[in-house]
Amino acid sequence: MAELERFDTPARLRDVPAAARQDWSATISGIFADYVGRHPQFYDPTAAETPTKTTVAKASWPAFPARLTRGNPPPEARWANADEDRAKQDEYCEWSVERDNAGKVTRLTFTTEVPEYWEFVAKHDRERLLDLYRELVAPDVERDELFDGDTYLPDNPRNQGTTGRLAHLVQGNNKLTAAVDLVARATVLRQRNGVPVTTQQALVVCSGLGDPFRHSDPQIAQLVNNAAAMGDEVTLRDPIGLYLDEFDATGFRAPDGTPAAAFWTIERGGPSHPVRARFEVPPGHGYAVGDLELDGRRITFGGQVADRVRVRVEALVKAADHRVVREPCRGG
Amino acid sequence: MTATVPIEESMPTDTSCQVFRGLSSEALTPGAVHGLVVGQESELRAFSADEAAAELGDPFATEILLKGTFPRFAGEVLDAFATVGTDGDPLRSAKFFLVGDGSQVLFTPETASVDRNMRFLITLGNGSEGPDVMFSSFDPGEGDVELMAWDRGRGGFNYYQTVGDSSGWVFAGNSRDALLADSEDKGPFEAHPSGNVVMKELKTPWINWHSPAASILPSAFAEDDPLRQHPWLELARQEPDGAITAERLIRLAIGRWTRARFAAITADGGRVDRPERIVRQIVTSPAVNLVSSHVESPLVGEDPVDLPPTFFADIDGLVRVGLAAPPEGFGMVSAALYRESMQAFDMRLEDGQGFVQPGDTHFVFVVPERAAEDQAVLDAAIANGLLTDRLAACLLMIDFPNPVFSRRRTSLLRHVPPTATLTAGADVFSRAMAEGILAAAGTDEGSGEREFAERWGAGDGWRAEFDRLLGAYYAAVNEQLATQAGLDDVIRLAESRRDHVRGNDRLARMPISESPLLFARTNVPPAERVMRSDATVAEIA
Repeated sequence: MAELERFDTPARLRDVPAAARQDWSATISGIFADYVGRHPQFYDPTAAETPTKTTVAKASWPAFPARLTRGNPPPEARWANADEDRAKQDEYCEWSVERDNAGKVTRLTFTTEVPEYWEFVAKHDRERLLDLYRELVAPDVERDELFDGDTYLPDNPRNQGTTGRLAHLVQGNNKLTAAVDLVARATVLRQRNGVPVTTQQALVVCSGLGDPFRHSDPQIAQLVNNAAAMGDEVTLRDPIGLYLDEFDATGFRAPDGTPAAAFWTIERGGPSHPVRARFEVPPGHGYAVGDLELDGRRITFGGQVADRVRVRVEALVKAADHRVVREPCRGG
Repeated sequence: MTATVPIEESMPTDTSCQVFRGLSSEALTPGAVHGLVVGQESELRAFSADEAAAELGDPFATEILLKGTFPRFAGEVLDAFATVGTDGDPLRSAKFFLVGDGSQVLFTPETASVDRNMRFLITLGNGSEGPDVMFSSFDPGEGDVELMAWDRGRGGFNYYQTVGDSSGWVFAGNSRDALLADSEDKGPFEAHPSGNVVMKELKTPWINWHSPAASILPSAFAEDDPLRQHPWLELARQEPDGAITAERLIRLAIGRWTRARFAAITADGGRVDRPERIVRQIVTSPAVNLVSSHVESPLVGEDPVDLPPTFFADIDGLVRVGLAAPPEGFGMVSAALYRESMQAFDMRLEDGQGFVQPGDTHFVFVVPERAAEDQAVLDAAIANGLLTDRLAACLLMIDFPNPVFSRRRTSLLRHVPPTATLTAGADVFSRAMAEGILAAAGTDEGSGEREFAERWGAGDGWRAEFDRLLGAYYAAVNEQLATQAGLDDVIRLAESRRDHVRGNDRLARMPISESPLLFARTNVPPAERVMRSDATVAEIA
């Protein structure tokens, strides 16, 4: 494998023409440029070769926020808590819930689409952005709801709540730039008082890599840091993005015995790079999501199903022979 | 026809799970299934094929042993299942999990000799009711395999054991044998007191397990350790969500046996021969799980520490009977205070063999909580009409600041009626038990009976009254945790409860205590301590 010609869009989405997509690659290269050089074990695959034997390293974590499990609250309480506010859905995956008039859950929508990509679409093709909202969120979305003058508003009223259908990630930490920052800076090996810092939370705190109590940040940090400790170099795998990794359909029980995998539909990104999916019982079954049981409990929250959704990011680990030097923790 | 095999003289007196370790592999007939339900039988007996077929209805027996395959090692067990049934048979599909009490101890030349107690859990046939087969193994290439498999005929898990590298297998009992007077707490039921599945660190962050909260890296193994390159290690590390999935499967399995146990009672006309056996799981602590904060020991000093709420009260049980959960933020402690306590109490991990690491366990504040299998029985006892919400709540509210190892709650066992009948919607048993306790409420001030009388006296307004009591208690706990002295007392109390698990010269060790690295060590003097309803801690004789 030689140098990557250019960074592709997340999930290789084709919402804008090829010429415009070059701009996306330039944007990502610009983000990488902030780190390459400063972090010798982090590299830009469009500027340095990636050998064929390079290893793919995957970090995968549950979509349900780890923060909301602290204190081990009763399951219903933590599911309700997560369903309340997108700001609490901080594992690079957000979801929204639709219910019928009786309050029964009818459809859940999960997304890992980063806001940077939607801003990119808005910049190059506003009509396409509006079409996406009308197709994915609601047919009555108006342009004025999405823009402030010429500026696209990622946290616009049509993409803020936990009810209805959402468009893309909006929680403050759920950004592609945050993921790149994390991977790049996790290549720095650390020590505290001469002792290597290797455990997940300690590494995140020592290097200032995010929130030690999330699933995502500590896992990504340790995966990358462990590779760096071998002297190897790391980058993100193209197409760079956060992806829905796997839907675990075990433990569901439908009234007619239909496997729950039949209710999981990828809406964007395709099977290899899913970025948006819905969980919905197709017409004809005579029941809805709220009639399903999961581990013996009727589904009444989106968070219940979020327990079974995983998110992933993939890194490339290129064999190298960097001398292992550990720096002290930031701030001492 | 049954053949009996001589056994060591020590066997009849040793009724612990160690009895199987006392067997020599020569005692087993190669390629045969044996039976030894400790307490019910005093001799190891080899089953005939007909006897085995009649008695054993689990897939390990029906698909492997009774078809003439007798694996000797854990790896061979897995190989044997790889060809059962047809393509897509759930029994062919295995999930691998990894756990080790010292799994987060950094591997260095100085810590190379530390026994990290690293082992695999393998589950097969993972359906909507949990796994059909489970076994754990320290090494895929070694014998002494312990295996549980769901009996599809009569329900319950069948417990199996190999001895050394023999190809003979011992059937050590079914879950229901755990409930029989002769065999309870004996053999495998010493560690599985209600016949149920055990994953001792069952809640997030699942200290010691490979999970999203704490990965177990290959570097936790010595460079020359064959397990470091073993496929099972990679499979366990690749298992999506690790301990999250293990928790889910184990909870399903716990529910499965609990449902079967009560279904058998219902099928028998609802007659409960030993209701004490059920109530025991509600008012005493025959088993415990371990739970911890979510904060790594190296981090203490920078982030608040979330002490597990179930240390302070049986939150899970109380919520089950309709009482309010503690407020958000309950049990949070300033990291600075916790760091001070760690230093003042000389907290350290040590293995007794020379390894000493200052600080607490990987996730700090590991403590016992009421066992998930006992919570499942509480739930089933209510759902099946044995206990009313009110009686269950009154029992749980006795000495509620001490959710485990409570003498006052335990004392109420003597009032359990000798028989009972499950009757949906009726409260016959609950009334009888309450009346029995109330009749003895003239006993000492501070007795369980007196306290029960107070709780029962709340009448129909019991929920509001108990929520008021709990609310005041939760507020008092938070006040105590805001002070160094209050936190220090809580840590002394935690040490007292840990002693119940690891044992000391007063207390027997619980079977889940398998490693000196399970808890941190401190300089807190051993003593029996209790929490009072004003959230102060007292030592008792």
